[in-house]
Amino acid sequence: MTTKDKIYYREGLPVPETPDPENSPEFWRQTDVVGKPLPRVDAYERVSGTAVYPSDILLPNMIYGAMLRSPHPNAKVKGIDTSAAEKMDGVRAIITGQSAEAKNVKWKYRDQQVPLFASHCRFEGEAVAAVAADTRYQAADAARAIKVDYEILDFAVDYEHALDASAAKVGGKGNLLNEERYGRGDLDKGFAEADVVLEETYRTPCELHTPMEPHGCVANWERDRLTVWESSQGVYAVQSRIAEALDLPLSKVRAVGHYMGGGFGSKLWPGKYTVLCCLLAKKTARPVKMMLSREETYLCVGNRPASTMRIKAGVKKDGTLTALEFDCSGPSGAYPAGGVQLVDWLVRDLYRCANVRTSSKDILINAGPARPFRAPGHPQGAWALEQMVDALAEKIDMDPVALRLKNIPLESQAREGAPPYTTTGLRQCLERGAEQFDWRESIKRINGHNGRDNHLKRGIGVGACLWIAGDGGPPSTVIIKLYKDGSVNLNMGASDIGTGTKTVMAQVAAEELGVHPSVIQIEHADTATTQFATPSGGSKTVPTEAPTVRNAAISLKQALITMAAEDLKVDRDELNYIGDEIVWSGDDSKKIRITELSTLQKRGEVIGVGYRGPNPEDKVVNPFAAQFCELEVNTLSGEIRILRFLGAHDSGRVLNRLTFDNQVYGGIVMGVGLGLTENRQLDENQTGKLCNRNWHDYKLPTALDVPLVMSSLPIELDDPESNNTGAKGLGEPVTIPTAAAIANALYMATGVRFTRAPVTPMAVIRELSKKEKG
Amino acid sequence: MLPKFSYVRPDKLAQAVKHLETDKAVIHAGGTDLLGCLRERIMDGDLLVSLGGLKGLAGIKETADGGLSIGALTTITEVSENRLVRDKYPGLAQGAAEVASPQLRNQGTLGGNLCQKPRCWYFRGEFHCLRKGGGLCFAIKGENQFHAIFGHDKICAITHPSDTAPVLVALNASVDVVGPAVNRSIAVEDLHVPPAEDVRAETVLKRGEIITRITIPAPAPNLYSSYRKIRARRSWDFALAGAALAFAMDGDRVSRANVVLSGAAPVPWRSTAMEEVLSGSTLTAETIFRAARAAVAEARPLAGNQYKVEMFRGMLEEELRKVGKGGEV
Ligand SMILES: Cc1cc2nc3c(=O)[nH]c(=O)nc-3n(C[C@H](O)[C@H](O)[C@H](O)COP(=O)(O)OP(=O)(O)OC[C@H]3O[C@@H](n4cnc5c(N)ncnc54)[C@H](O)[C@@H]3O)c2cc1C
Ligand code: SF4
Repeated sequence: MTTKDKIYYREGLPVPETPDPENSPEFWRQTDVVGKPLPRVDAYERVSGTAVYPSDILLPNMIYGAMLRSPHPNAKVKGIDTSAAEKMDGVRAIITGQSAEAKNVKWKYRDQQVPLFASHCRFEGEAVAAVAADTRYQAADAARAIKVDYEILDFAVDYEHALDASAAKVGGKGNLLNEERYGRGDLDKGFAEADVVLEETYRTPCELHTPMEPHGCVANWERDRLTVWESSQGVYAVQSRIAEALDLPLSKVRAVGHYMGGGFGSKLWPGKYTVLCCLLAKKTARPVKMMLSREETYLCVGNRPASTMRIKAGVKKDGTLTALEFDCSGPSGAYPAGGVQLVDWLVRDLYRCANVRTSSKDILINAGPARPFRAPGHPQGAWALEQMVDALAEKIDMDPVALRLKNIPLESQAREGAPPYTTTGLRQCLERGAEQFDWRESIKRINGHNGRDNHLKRGIGVGACLWIAGDGGPPSTVIIKLYKDGSVNLNMGASDIGTGTKTVMAQVAAEELGVHPSVIQIEHADTATTQFATPSGGSKTVPTEAPTVRNAAISLKQALITMAAEDLKVDRDELNYIGDEIVWSGDDSKKIRITELSTLQKRGEVIGVGYRGPNPEDKVVNPFAAQFCELEVNTLSGEIRILRFLGAHDSGRVLNRLTFDNQVYGGIVMGVGLGLTENRQLDENQTGKLCNRNWHDYKLPTALDVPLVMSSLPIELDDPESNNTGAKGLGEPVTIPTAAAIANALYMATGVRFTRAPVTPMAVIRELSKKEKG
Repeated sequence: MLPKFSYVRPDKLAQAVKHLETDKAVIHAGGTDLLGCLRERIMDGDLLVSLGGLKGLAGIKETADGGLSIGALTTITEVSENRLVRDKYPGLAQGAAEVASPQLRNQGTLGGNLCQKPRCWYFRGEFHCLRKGGGLCFAIKGENQFHAIFGHDKICAITHPSDTAPVLVALNASVDVVGPAVNRSIAVEDLHVPPAEDVRAETVLKRGEIITRITIPAPAPNLYSSYRKIRARRSWDFALAGAALAFAMDGDRVSRANVVLSGAAPVPWRSTAMEEVLSGSTLTAETIFRAARAAVAEARPLAGNQYKVEMFRGMLEEELRKVGKGGEV
């Protein structure tokens, strides 16, 4: 007999009604745990350092891997001499393109298959050889001791000139990888209808992913079974890519990724280094750890490609957008990687506009291939579109917030058949954001300030966005287990990439089951012990997994009700799950405590399985946002200080206010990097090599660069159609409009349109002195 | 990755000097620059001689003439927070406070700050450039937005990285040096080597020489001192443009002006042109304008750093406006 104090139920609180197996659950009208600002379930582990990240893994007999990479952006490998390296202390294996174990192994960049070791290295950092040795130092020293004879070729690293006839050819063929076009309506007619037409070219830099934990893994074979601990956003992607590369059954590859130190899109799949680590482990019959250096991650495992965007826009005096024309180009890098992917999406879909045409050129250059980077394409597009909208507003003498409000779309115009959004929170984001930011009064105050004879000028700016995804969707499978003492185990395949996934999922399960979140133990991100999940990316983890967790909890409750029906000898339809008891509707004294269910006691546990149901048909689920910025520019020194930022985000239901605000602040900080500090610099005219390969030269914003005051304003609209939790994605929209809002504020402060990001003090001085000279 | 090295921590200065006579021995003070240099293999070092055990290299003391003697091992944080420094030479405290980041200031020493290697990204990267014994300065025709506009002579265009050196030059400080041959004192102004003299050397120190103390003469009457720095990012970054001012004031007249620029040249760059305009003048709007112009009149910017000319001019104007106004504009 279980006593009341031994079980883990929240006292005296109703739990959501349990639907019959064939029905979907009701939208939560009121929640008890969901939405509460609960601290992370793993906060102690993360803060105390007891959380084990892949870089912490230490196995008995483990040795270390290191890679030798091409120092040239374009070179042929003519010969490799490993003889000196082989003789070095501690060296156990060296693998090159000639080695039997690597010869037939392939790697894939999108749909292009390449050998693991290409004899033609097309970017600085492309793999040439891999070494395993007893210590990290021995491995690195041995890699350095390998002699390679390179034939150095001409390179093309500047995508703006890579299509010139004289440019070196990255892949032997032309450097134009792909050109995509989109159009609707009649562009000429649209421009003819406009009272004002403006045209401008905008540029954004190449940004480098900089997760705290570099990419890397540990690989270990037990006979024919391979286990890989990878710093990854999705263990199932690791499993399938490695199984494919090594021609293994999925069942023989176990990928584990409990903790990981950030990815931002660059860890959605493993790398060549993962395959090599597995091969080295096999060859040496030892566990091998291979963590990349920061320099290697900067060269090889992803970036947000630079972009050049020409935008032409027409507007009527009343603020109606009549035409948008957009041509962009950007580099994939040395292999297909989506160099311009989604850059035009906001132009296609953010504002109501009947006549739109876009073109996007994806270009090959001799530099590391891109990988998805938090909201691929969108911050770039926002940099152009959101500045253009501001410029149009000025020309027609309309408030920039008002101009945006005039063009709110209720359906996704860029999708086939223009399906409606389940909710479009853009209006509320703009209106309530502007109100909380004190937009109108701030303009007056700033005009007064800037009118004075002072070299410190202020400005405010707004930027808006939507995010193409954020709806989530199938597949996902989650299992929840209830032990006979009433405690709960939540088992899901998804990774928690630092966003608080585990915490939020525990809240969802607790809400539905009526238990305390603290009694829920989570098993996740392990292909051997959890269920298939797609990688955590695309702002889809919450809208994918949370509804699945809810379904699993409901399925568990249904199983318990069936057991209660047997014990109480009544029809299951007449039973209600109320708190820690199941009660007969005929007479509420006829009831049984969950923990006393005889089948549960006999079996020891009972499981509920949840699947992610389909998304609404013919409707689109997208998050929306508006951000507001105030800053100060020192017109003598060029320095910019961001004074305050507000992020108003419609991502549906807020599941946890702390993790929600974390995303908003983090996204703004990242957007400040795009707007003000970050820029991959290649030595374009001489060697094509990366100049800024460390944290001093590659300038991430520091604590002093981020806004003095940041606030988050959730626009929490009920969205029962989106999924059974009503939550939409958040992790990416938070960084989309930031840089554009900064640029718009800079314009108010200086009268200069900064078309090129990042806007550093150097850029400010350059542009202001250009303006002075006229 | 760091190469192999051994490490000694002598407690006598003479022992340290002796160790340093070994080939490839290097001085280890706070290690914040040294370890990075070894990792990047931009210098050889297989014996690290720590100064940590040498008592005479610590502490900040007032000298008989009312100046200060600062031990070379004094941390940058200590320099920025010390009462005596703040009272006598606020500019030095400001300069120290502008260095790097809190962690680096806690670990880095004043002696090390004066002797650090340049931050040119070619030098720190995998480029065998002139300063590393190669045949070419990559910066002259390459990505030189962070490079020098003065004193590069188209040989090597590093900017001297230190934020404390310009202030020390402006304050007429000198370093006490102990070495295998003779002990000597060198004006900080003469410590650093322009590329035209020797592109491979950053300081005039010879093998085995150790800076023991930094001595600053008594502050001039009514000394106004300040340090200002502009950077691409507000912390953990070197100067795009910086200036140390040390003015002897006579009422609102500058009787003697010392102006030393950072982020400008391969060595802390004394702007004699600006000093000439200012010395003996009152800081009227017109003087300020002329002085700031004079400072950049001789600049020789490269393709990517033309902006520095305007940036220095604007910054110096702003700094001069603050003089006598309690630092406010
Ligand atoms: C990311 C980063 C950012 C930085 N930003 C700035 C900045 O903004 N401004 C700035 O001024 N500096 C900056 N620095 C440099 C930092 O201030 C120096 O690294 C530090 O002051 C050096 O002191 P240290 O005691 O650690 O020197 P160490 O690293 O121990 O030594 C530096 C060099 O000086 C030699 N040396 C040390 N002490 C003596 C001595 N007493 N006599 C003779 N030779 C000696 C060493 O052999 C070595 O070559 C930065 C450094 C880093 C890593
Ligand atoms: S500026 Fe000096 S350090 Fe930089 S590349 Fe040129 S020679 Fe080398």
